[in-house]
Amino acid sequence: MKMNSNEGRQILVCCGTGCQANGSLQVFDAIQEQIQSLGAVEVKTFAKSTGCNGWCEQGPLVKILPDDITYCQVKVDDVPAIIDKTIKNNEVIERLLYRDPASKKRVKSPHLELDFYQKQKKIALRNIGEIDPASIEDYIDRDGYKALEKAFSISAEQIITEVIKSGLRGRGGGGFPAGIKWQSCAEQSNAPRYIICNGDEGDPGAFMDRSIMEGDPHTVIEGMVICALATGASNGFIYVRDEYALALKNLNQALIDARKGSFLGENIMGQGFAFDIEVVRGGGAFVCGEETALIASVEGKIGEPRDKYVFPAEKGLWGQPTVINNVETWANIPVIINEGADKFASIGTENSKGTKVFSLVGKVVNTGLVEVPMGTTLRQIIFEIGGGILKGRQFKAVQTGGPSGGCIPAELLDLPVDFDTLKEVGSMMGSGGLIVMDERTCMVEVARYYLNFLAGESCGKCVPCREGIRRMQEILTRICEGKGQISDIELLEEIAETVKIAALCGLGKTAANPVLSTLRYFRDEYLAHIEEHRCPAGVCRDLTEFYIDKEKCTGCGICIKNCPVDAIHGEKKEAHTIDVEKCITCGSCIDTCRFDAVRIR
Amino acid sequence: MKIMIDGRDVDVEYGETILTAAKRAGIKIPTLCHNEAFEGQGRCRLCMVEVEKGSMKNTVASCTYPITGEIKVTTSTPLIEKTRKNIIMLLYKQAPGSQLIQDMYKEYGCVDNSLEENNADERCILCNLCVLACQEMGSSAISLIMRGTDKQVATPYNEAAEVCLGCGACAEICPTNAIKVIEKDGQRIIWNKVFNLVNCQRCGKPFATREQLEYIAAQGKDISTQNLCESCRRKSAAEKIQGFM
Repeated sequence: MKMNSNEGRQILVCCGTGCQANGSLQVFDAIQEQIQSLGAVEVKTFAKSTGCNGWCEQGPLVKILPDDITYCQVKVDDVPAIIDKTIKNNEVIERLLYRDPASKKRVKSPHLELDFYQKQKKIALRNIGEIDPASIEDYIDRDGYKALEKAFSISAEQIITEVIKSGLRGRGGGGFPAGIKWQSCAEQSNAPRYIICNGDEGDPGAFMDRSIMEGDPHTVIEGMVICALATGASNGFIYVRDEYALALKNLNQALIDARKGSFLGENIMGQGFAFDIEVVRGGGAFVCGEETALIASVEGKIGEPRDKYVFPAEKGLWGQPTVINNVETWANIPVIINEGADKFASIGTENSKGTKVFSLVGKVVNTGLVEVPMGTTLRQIIFEIGGGILKGRQFKAVQTGGPSGGCIPAELLDLPVDFDTLKEVGSMMGSGGLIVMDERTCMVEVARYYLNFLAGESCGKCVPCREGIRRMQEILTRICEGKGQISDIELLEEIAETVKIAALCGLGKTAANPVLSTLRYFRDEYLAHIEEHRCPAGVCRDLTEFYIDKEKCTGCGICIKNCPVDAIHGEKKEAHTIDVEKCITCGSCIDTCRFDAVRIR
Repeated sequence: MKIMIDGRDVDVEYGETILTAAKRAGIKIPTLCHNEAFEGQGRCRLCMVEVEKGSMKNTVASCTYPITGEIKVTTSTPLIEKTRKNIIMLLYKQAPGSQLIQDMYKEYGCVDNSLEENNADERCILCNLCVLACQEMGSSAISLIMRGTDKQVATPYNEAAEVCLGCGACAEICPTNAIKVIEKDGQRIIWNKVFNLVNCQRCGKPFATREQLEYIAAQGKDISTQNLCESCRRKSAAEKIQGFM
């Protein structure tokens, strides 16, 4: 394969945390080094490190422009070939291209050819993977800070009206209309006022906010400055959990560059408006993602939430009017101002406008970040974008909304996802986690897992959350161990209801969701554990016994090789048997058997 | 302004909490983490009431809900009673050693269930009143530490706190008698710290720690009666008044 252009090439290396973990920084260094040795005469090429592409499964990703070639899982050893073949000789290296499992074809430009990219609509993630997050010029090249310029040309009321008209709802989980928050803050008579960006993303498996802060920090800053202009705020804070090292680094760099570029500071864009932002590092408590706990933490107090009968927009940080929005919400603001509220509001459903970023993880073929219009169905997200379930297994449930979200069963796969529909089915949007589960998932164990997480992360301030979660966890553990009683289900429901009604903050009020949603859709699994002492998914160790179906077993021996306790015996090409006395029901045999011969009793 | 509580018109001040207004009107709402000396905390959630505002109906904590407009409050509904009963049940499982909680467990008609009980002498319900009292005294020797079910009240690193005055305000305010104070041989032991007690100059009974008296003196407060115990101080004051008459 030959290509025509060999001038002015760009090599983009994804340096998001996922790709970095797979060695993308080394790849980036190697490319830079080897390009230099080429001498500037031969090809004009420069490498940029970009933020997360969302396609973490295939990282490190190296993209070559304008040829539009994406190489997957690139190693340092591949770099000489990339330079020699692609950069010098315009050849595409077939083996580094993604192989579409459906068509079995190699794909040169995944974002043009693959459903994973084609079915997405990027607003919040528009720049990620396209720009170098450390370069303010890159951001400006893609219309960066144009929205701020436009905001200066209209009145504060007009800015707020635009945001209200856009229908943008808070992306952090609550789904409160962002414009109404701004308006309420602007209406307060007291000053100073504050702006906060909530970057304390804590849901297990969720990384949309991290990706934005790492990959496009200026969009967050621009969104916040526009809000400051609309509400008359003087100071902003970006609260980032300390584990997000790269996000912290890129945000701090962006703040320095924004000040230099006069997009932040004493006299923004020469308009006489002063506003500055500082980064506050969170200590890693999940509950500090709750806005009032976050505010307490910024104030240097214990990260405990307070009752929100008075919103932070009236009394927030240090008792002053405060607008607090999540990272993804801020990332939408420049687009709304630039392109107009009507265009934004034309995307999505009646009451949930725009797009939502999901982190699609679990037992799904393509894991990563996906941004889709509100109202996209779960089936489209999981099967079209996500490519379906791993190993061709059966879909069982999808867990949305983080640890205190709910599990949605197969019969609801055609549900158009938005803030309200998810709530109706007993789950929630949360910050956008989507964890896909297959037939080998025990739903009682799933509920127990999340309650375990929440028990460790509840701040312990209010009794229903602290004690209620712990007691639900106690009951679920008992059921998983086969010691459950039938009356336990009623007790679970009773405690769940009290926690839901009486808990102080959002964490507590939703903490019963994993229990209530699994009881609602998978009650038979609870009953199987309690009445039949059986775990239908073969996960709960005390309730599982594996055996080998003699008809199906081919005697290939792969289970023998994988059994960690030598509990499987049998001659080659003859049916094997499992010694139940020795078996620790770890499940490695059932996971590796290619003939579906390992069965659950 | 006026609001309606349990069908009665009640005079209220703008911004005060439902609990404060109800108390003044003689309407009882159960609480465990509330003390009039402090702002409502919203920890125990026993004071949940139903609030109707226009067409909206919500269950709220009356100790933190500020009255800012016309509302209708119902302090007891079947759902609220059930919620309170479950909260007491949960607290009983956590602090079965507390007499107060045991009594409430019976009062609310809680019945035994399959949940495990904590250590039989556990009494702390983590209401945080001790911490607030200590803060108010100006010491802040104790604080809530950890989170979730690991949460507890402690001095820094569970060691004797330098700033602790041994005043015992924490134990005094504790609704469940959970703070251990040992007094013998002229000494008081509290929060792992040993204090020498000062005797009352009049009746001779030990009444305060030296640290406490020094702290009061350092605050520049009236120290003329500081070496007297509370009842002798009252007697002395009464005598002074009688002297004037």
